[in-house]
Amino acid sequence: MTLFHLSGLAVEIPGHRLLDDITLDLPAGRATALIGHNGSGKSTLLRALARQIPARGTAIFEGRPLGAWPARALARRMAYLPQTTPPAEGMTVRELVALGRYPWHGALGRFGPADHAAIARALSECGVEPFADRLVDTLSGGERQRVWLAMMVAQEAGTLLLDEPISALDIAHQVEVLALVAAMCHSQGRSAVIVLHDVNMAARFCDHVVALRAGRLVWQGAPRALMRPETLQRIYGLPMQVLTRADGHPIATPA
Amino acid sequence: MVTARTLAPFAALIAALLWWLAARALPMPAWPWDAQAMSLDQIRMAYGLMPRGVIALLAGAMLGLSGAILQVVLRNPVADPTTLGISAGAQLALVLATILAPALLEAGRWPVAMAGAGAAAALVMAIGARRGFQPVSMVIAGMLVGLTASAVAGALTLAQGQYLLSLVIWNGGALVQQDWSGVAALALVLGPGALAAAALARPLRLLSLGGEGARGLGLNVALMRLAAIGVAVMLAAAVSAELGLIGFVGLAAPALARSLGVRGVAGLLAWSPVLGALFLSVCDGLVLAAAGLGAEMFPTGALTGLLGGPLLIWLLPRLRGATPPGTEAGDGPAPRLARPGRLLAAMAAGLVAAGLALLWIGRVPGGWAVLERADLAAFLPMRLPRLLAAAGSGAALALAGAILQRLTANPLASPEVLGVSGGASLGYAAVVFGLAAPGAGALALGTMAGGAAALAVLLAVTARRDMPAERVLLAGVAVSALASAVLSAMMAVGDARAWAILSWLSGSAARVTMPGALALAGLAVAVWLAALALRRWLALLPLGEGVARGLGLGLAQARLSLILLAGLATGAATMVTGPLSFVGLMAPHLACRAGLARPADHLTGSALIGAGLMLAADFGARMAGFPYELPLGLFASLIGAPWLIWLMTRQR
Repeated sequence: MTLFHLSGLAVEIPGHRLLDDITLDLPAGRATALIGHNGSGKSTLLRALARQIPARGTAIFEGRPLGAWPARALARRMAYLPQTTPPAEGMTVRELVALGRYPWHGALGRFGPADHAAIARALSECGVEPFADRLVDTLSGGERQRVWLAMMVAQEAGTLLLDEPISALDIAHQVEVLALVAAMCHSQGRSAVIVLHDVNMAARFCDHVVALRAGRLVWQGAPRALMRPETLQRIYGLPMQVLTRADGHPIATPA
Repeated sequence: MVTARTLAPFAALIAALLWWLAARALPMPAWPWDAQAMSLDQIRMAYGLMPRGVIALLAGAMLGLSGAILQVVLRNPVADPTTLGISAGAQLALVLATILAPALLEAGRWPVAMAGAGAAAALVMAIGARRGFQPVSMVIAGMLVGLTASAVAGALTLAQGQYLLSLVIWNGGALVQQDWSGVAALALVLGPGALAAAALARPLRLLSLGGEGARGLGLNVALMRLAAIGVAVMLAAAVSAELGLIGFVGLAAPALARSLGVRGVAGLLAWSPVLGALFLSVCDGLVLAAAGLGAEMFPTGALTGLLGGPLLIWLLPRLRGATPPGTEAGDGPAPRLARPGRLLAAMAAGLVAAGLALLWIGRVPGGWAVLERADLAAFLPMRLPRLLAAAGSGAALALAGAILQRLTANPLASPEVLGVSGGASLGYAAVVFGLAAPGAGALALGTMAGGAAALAVLLAVTARRDMPAERVLLAGVAVSALASAVLSAMMAVGDARAWAILSWLSGSAARVTMPGALALAGLAVAVWLAALALRRWLALLPLGEGVARGLGLGLAQARLSLILLAGLATGAATMVTGPLSFVGLMAPHLACRAGLARPADHLTGSALIGAGLMLAADFGARMAGFPYELPLGLFASLIGAPWLIWLMTRQR
């Protein structure tokens, strides 16, 4: 099953090509990591997949051209979290999570029992029930990120697109948030595409890795295959060494 | 590609040609000049046209340099003495000095203008400093300060009648000269200003990296900003003192330089004065050429304003980098009420009680009076419509403000900067000047048409793809600026029609008829209901484009509908209050601080507070100067502006 089928995808700003000729199939029901150096186009690719920016070429999402999806129908199938989450001034956690129901009820539709149930499920799945009535802006970074994930869960979309969801978190919260995302994929059959900076985190929590370099696809495959010095050098342009932890997990570090 | 080097001689030729077209009929006096021996035409040449040509060059150079310095130091391509309110501050100071302390002006107009310009600049910088000198916020703050200063100056002019006629003409920025003293005064300021700019070029280049980067390289950022802004203010104030409001030259010159391929801070500082001088000379040449066709006193400043407004709109898409959501939110965590319903009910009850009290109580010669039951019937037809209209317009403005602040996620957004009021005033002015004896119907129609035209410009800007919501505000600012430039040109005529416009601009609820008041109140209620229906959009939009689009919100459609709604409310309210009141800015803030956080509560609370504020302003406007009536919109601004300035400059 393919989630995304991309062919010849390109994104340009005047005088500069950010993404060039991306041809790629992303698997459904898996957590896919997008990795690459700064400026490699990984965030651009994610935003093009989320239809946040226009792109040329073919992009087919769940068997239907991306451009042909009506806005709310798309949001019912796909949830997107931007890299920096905006402040939610004066909003409680429950209210923010409730916004995730917008694709289902629209501007004027009734807020029904199904919506309430979806919010309750989302709050408990992401473990944010204890502070459901607190103001979002008073939470810590890790808690806040989990609240935004809960909003995506309330959206009941089968696909989650996350742009560097852990970049502003300390190491404990990075693991916590990624473990939550991985669990959301594996236990509920969701798909996820996650932009990640840290190749070790990508290898540990994702099932499939796509690597970009200078706007082009350079490599894709399983995490095990990624963790080889020659593959990593092709991606990052830097000699890399792969060590093996006591439990057998490979760890990459600059050589 | 046209470069600055090839264009400059060409523009100089056109400017010279236009000047010569005006001057060719006059004989050149023989050197050395002796006014006693000259013919009238020779005097007009030697002490009229020749200094005029020189002063256009000098003033243009000064404004261009001032704009270039401001743009570099603030890293803001739309900064200039007009958009930052500096010129309007100078204008207000001069009007105040003329009325209150004419003796101050004997030493020269420049120190007074400098004080006013400096105060305005300090205020805008104080507001901007709290917002990291964000370009958009700076311009909006500058526009608010500028609009307030102009409104106060306009009301003072109105109150003093004919005596300030010369000031009105000065406001428009006429370049007419009677001798060489103006040229000498400007040259005395331009010289040191140019030297200072040359000395500042290198630190300014460091500063163009941004405050933190420059500080890291060992620059005293605060001092350098102060010095550079001081030089810019000095240059702009000198032009304001000598010639009046000449808008947008400081904006146009650096923009021209950049689009002609000038790169780097030093290049910008060198070329902007040259291009500014040529720009103003060509404008003045056009005015001179038109003067031959009978437009003798048409101020050059109005022409630069006419050219500058569209230029600003054209520049907007080039403003790099949208403000990331959240950088504008500076008020700290707002309180949040657990049961907002109670507060809203109390506010509604208070509003009704206040309305009833104002119906019964009034001021009579010699004291206050509560109406007898019998008198009430006589007074009701007079008092009820204006109370209803005041409350309705307050609510409509507050709703427009709340909608815009949520739409743009910018707490400085308000109907005043939407440009609709500016367009409406232009429409009103056009009818006053276009028809011999316009009736109320024609005036209302003209006002609405003007507002609608401004709204159309705004919608055209918004409808473009990927137009960040905050640029809507800038487009509104551009329309407002254009409107005020053209208005001041129309007023420079200085006859009865100008007074009619000036009094309308200040706003009054006295002329409202009962059907008009009912229509306005009904519209306010309709806007309130529509906004409540769209409350989910208003909850999503402050979270920024990424989130809103990710949740399947059709951004273009939502923006269009909300701007239309806000524009409708503003246009209707403007008919009563005039273009300026600050209620649309104040009421949503007050509602927020009162703990009304959810969109529906926030909207309702804003509307109630707005209605209450406008009732209070109407009461104050009627009572403060009894038996004379003060302008309603102006009175509301006088209450609102100090509070707003306190709010915006307050430390976190």
